[in-house]
This record gives sequence, structure tokens and C-alpha cells, in this order.
Amino acid sequence: MQKRKSLIKIKPKRYKNGEIVKVSFMVMHPMHTGMAKDKKTKKIIPAKYINSVKFIYNGKEITSMKVWESLSVNPVFTTYMKINGKGKLTVKYTDNTGEAHEKTKKIKPKG
Amino acid sequence: MQRRDFFKKLGTVAAVSAVMPAMSFAGGAKPVSPNKMDYNTAVNTITGGKTPKPSKKVKLKVPEIAENGAVVPVTVTVDSPMTESNYVKAIHILTGKNSNARTIDVYLTPANGKAMFSTRIKLGGTQKVTALVELSNGEFLTASQSVKVTIGGCG
Repeated sequence: MQKRKSLIKIKPKRYKNGEIVKVSFMVMHPMHTGMAKDKKTKKIIPAKYINSVKFIYNGKEITSMKVWESLSVNPVFTTYMKINGKGKLTVKYTDNTGEAHEKTKKIKPKG
Repeated sequence: MQRRDFFKKLGTVAAVSAVMPAMSFAGGAKPVSPNKMDYNTAVNTITGGKTPKPSKKVKLKVPEIAENGAVVPVTVTVDSPMTESNYVKAIHILTGKNSNARTIDVYLTPANGKAMFSTRIKLGGTQKVTALVELSNGEFLTASQSVKVTIGGCG
């Protein structure tokens, strides 16, 4: 399966337990709507877009998203999360053609 | 690659694909989404027929003028304590005129701490963008803003 470059960013980088931090997930993906024509071939580019994203923190799903085809190319998903212990944040995502990937970031609160 | 290069690349690809979009139709029929749904149907589907109420608790941030309809930043923030008994269950971002009015449905939990969601969407032309918010008590709130689009982004 094609590997995709992606990134989980947490702001601020240093955080404590109980703090609410901003978390962004970005992934390189063409997000084809299925409505656009390729300029050269004049054929419709088939729909290929991320259709679901889940944020899982220490095994608990804290946010989930149903994504439709009109999100921009290389989509970004930003929200907040409350830091509640050391562990892992895993982002799982799928696209409409059956691709499924995940990206993990360690959560290390200071104090 | 280094983080900063990754970020640069993300921005560049978005800009390039916007400038050279493989997305023009030389006249002819307007393209239709495989998930075609108009705004009113989308709202009814989401609320189950309940009428959502415009509310100042919902802050929708979108540009008044988007030079590039392919990459329009949208941020929705809701004034909510995000406790187990009172939190934002979902933020839906809808468009007035895209073939599929729905762009994303975000399901939050109290573990988010704050009710906010931000992303970038495609707009096929000048239209209203609406944040439709579902609260844990079953209420639906909305906030809308019109975005003028100079180059359409759906193709």
C-alpha cells in the first residue's frame, strides 16, 4: 500500500498534565473530488479523498471525523486535546479507495 | 525530511495545484459530486428535522474574500465548558452551493477540552459557509458567513 507522509503537531511543545493543547494532523493526499478533468487526457480524475480520521489517545477515541470530498489537497485537521497522562496519540485515517494508515506521536507531559 | 521542509512542501503543493488546476471544464455540464446533496437536505439530515438556531456562541472564521477557492481556511470555535454534562458533540461545516453541501463532520468529546476545529476546504464559487453545531443536550446552533471566491476551487 502507498505510504503517505503525515505529521502530528502539538502546540505548545512542552505541556503539563491538565493542559489543553492544540493538535494538528496534516497528510499529503491529492483529495480528488471525482469531478475534475485531467487537462491532458480530458478524462475525469476518479474521486480519491480521505473519508475518515480518528484521534485515539491512550486507547480512547477522543475525536472522530467523517470527511467529504471537498476538503483541500494535503488536508489539515486541527483541534484541541486535554493532556491526561503520558502515552500515545494515534491518528488513524482511511480514504474512499480503501487506503488505511496511522500515525503515532508520544505524549510526554512535563510535571 | 526535516519538519520545516515538510511544512514548506505542504504549502507549495497546495499553491501549485491551485495555480495549475486540473480542473477546468470548457463549457458543458457542471460537474456533479458522487455525494450530491444540497444545503437544506444536508441540514435536515444532520438535525433530523430540528431547526437549528443562529447563535453567537458559535464563532465561524472564514475569509471574506478567498483568492483561491481550492484552499479556503475555516475555523469554528464554540463557547462550551466541554464537561461530561455539557459539551459540543459535533461540528459540521456546510457550504451553500457546492455540489455536496457537506465538507466535514467532526465529533468531539469532553477530552478535547475546548470546542474548536480548523481545516481548509474547497469552494466552487462565491457562497455561504455554515458551521452547524450539535450540543450534548440535543440543541443545534449555527453561524454563517459568505465567502467571495475569485477562482473556483472544485473543478
